[in-house]
Amino acid sequence: MLRGHQSWVFENRPMITATGVTGGPFEANGKLANDFDLLYEDLWMGKESYEKAHSLLLEEAMKMALKKGNVQKEQVQFLFAGDLINQITPTSFAARTLQIPYFGLFGACSTSMEGLALSSFVVNNQGAKYVLTGASSHNAAVEKQFRYPTEYGGQKPPTAQWTITGAGVALVQPNEPGKQHPVTTSATIGKVVDMGLTDPFNMGGAMAPAAADTIIAHFRDMKLEPSYYDLIVTGDLGRVGHDTAFELLNKSGLELERGQFQDCGLLMYKNDQPVQSGGSGAGCSATVLYGHLLNQLKKGAYRRILVVATGALLSPLSFQQNESIPCIAHAVAIEMNE
Amino acid sequence: MITRYQILFACLFLLAACNHNPPVRDSQLALMKTTNPKPLVTDQNKSNDSVKEIKKDVSSFPELYDVAVIKGKKDTLVVYKVKHLYRFKMKKIEKNVNKKLEKKYPKENFTVSSDYKIFLEAIRLDEQMKSAKFSHKEAEKRLKDIVKMTDKTK
Amino acid sequence: MPTTKQKNTTPQQRNYQQLQQKHEIKRPVLKNCLKAFFVGGFICVIGQAVSYFYIYFFDFTEQSVGNPTVATMVFFSMLLTGFGVYDRLGQFAGAGSAVPVTGFGNAVISAAIEHRTEGFVLGVGGNMFKLAGSVILFGVFSAFVVALIKTLLVIWGVL
Repeated sequence: MLRGHQSWVFENRPMITATGVTGGPFEANGKLANDFDLLYEDLWMGKESYEKAHSLLLEEAMKMALKKGNVQKEQVQFLFAGDLINQITPTSFAARTLQIPYFGLFGACSTSMEGLALSSFVVNNQGAKYVLTGASSHNAAVEKQFRYPTEYGGQKPPTAQWTITGAGVALVQPNEPGKQHPVTTSATIGKVVDMGLTDPFNMGGAMAPAAADTIIAHFRDMKLEPSYYDLIVTGDLGRVGHDTAFELLNKSGLELERGQFQDCGLLMYKNDQPVQSGGSGAGCSATVLYGHLLNQLKKGAYRRILVVATGALLSPLSFQQNESIPCIAHAVAIEMNE
Repeated sequence: MITRYQILFACLFLLAACNHNPPVRDSQLALMKTTNPKPLVTDQNKSNDSVKEIKKDVSSFPELYDVAVIKGKKDTLVVYKVKHLYRFKMKKIEKNVNKKLEKKYPKENFTVSSDYKIFLEAIRLDEQMKSAKFSHKEAEKRLKDIVKMTDKTK
Repeated sequence: MPTTKQKNTTPQQRNYQQLQQKHEIKRPVLKNCLKAFFVGGFICVIGQAVSYFYIYFFDFTEQSVGNPTVATMVFFSMLLTGFGVYDRLGQFAGAGSAVPVTGFGNAVISAAIEHRTEGFVLGVGGNMFKLAGSVILFGVFSAFVVALIKTLLVIWGVL
């Protein structure tokens, strides 16, 4: 049901019954290694190309979610997923393997929440019994496309971010009262915000206003106070973008606590890992949410969280042509079922 | 991490092992230190007074250090090292040396070079000539080869 | 370090960019310069050692030793790139490892490795000089311009 200008309220409270989270070697050394279902010890994952490994990551995450949810793939109506590679081939190839009716999404790193919002909406309105949604990224495949070759010895500035290798997939189905699963309660779809930043090594700075814009819109549409959520977590703003977004939000009159406002890209890695400003990539918010944060919810560490995945909608071509970096953010509110 | 340090130590020991070769000949270090070789004449029957004179003349240039002179039948090879700060002016120095020598010894046919390689070969020739087996003919031939080599450096 | 172009921006964008600049982590320029100086210097010391090696054991003079030395250094950097060491060195040293010829070797071979999965002809062949191509193009072009100027100066009798 539409509420306000750009938000949905899911009054039937769709459940996230199972998740599958896979990651690569770098994530295995990170802070959240225990929240992954499957970790690969090398980037090739036994495949002959990084793109195939990318597909495999998502495929395995989807199979994991289906297995944990005790659902056959034939029972699943729709798949909402996407990634960062040209024409989102890794996701489409994984969908080819699983043979689930498929919506390919592209929202850059915001794909995870775009998918979760859409699947919640479909399930909420009796459009499906089971929906899979997810997002993935593969460090080497993405860096190859957007930046320099992986082995190229260029120096990255401290504002740069590390594309994570990982896939996070969630199985969304209609609410069954009494079952202890996280549920989605509302979502806010963001608009594209462009503040004219052009440095592809400072995505956090470019994405921060989009995150702030969506968060402000969410509280306006839902008529809520920030204290309603125990945790507001942004997708992959990194150190630079996260600080900027925090200041933007406080300037706009929303009173956030510092501890209440976190970032998936900063949660993922240890401080001594060479990720510069933090993690990024479509898989970043997906793996952190479907792995770590939902586990925390189940443990009762948080009651309600708002996940704001941010995406930078640039292409390698557009920034070489000196276009600025337009950005977007989508927010989904998640809490435990009563 | 431990293995990395072990490898490092192993390398250091291997490198240190090289120091045990006792006789260090001049030519081995000719590029690093000043060797100051004696001026030579391939034909040892001739006196080397004129060559000594040449060496003195060339050494008088303040930009240079370490001069080697070898006089053959036809050619006279003059090799020197240029002090580091003057290496940008190497061409000019070479011209000056040439001018000075040709003025003073118009009969001689000089080959002037500042190349380390030529210097090294000059020292090696010096060492070879000290051994008895090395005949004048061979020395003369080697000198010609070295002179030929300088053509490539120009 | 200005990261944005100032033209064609609305006041709102400019305001934000100022706010953003405040949070931007600056490059530690002095530290980077020092690191680049020492690593770059170290690479050059190795290069010097290699050229002495060729002078000692082969018939190369100081003038002609350049080519084999460059080839050897590029070969070393290719090995290091292949073993995945050079990009780490690059992150540490920045210009120190990019400016010497080893950086050129790294640019070529990293692109070749990267596109190996697309086949030898269109992948490796087509993309090998993706990064290094501009170095070659502008290197050759600037050499041409300098040579042209010198030739003209010689003809006019200035030099």
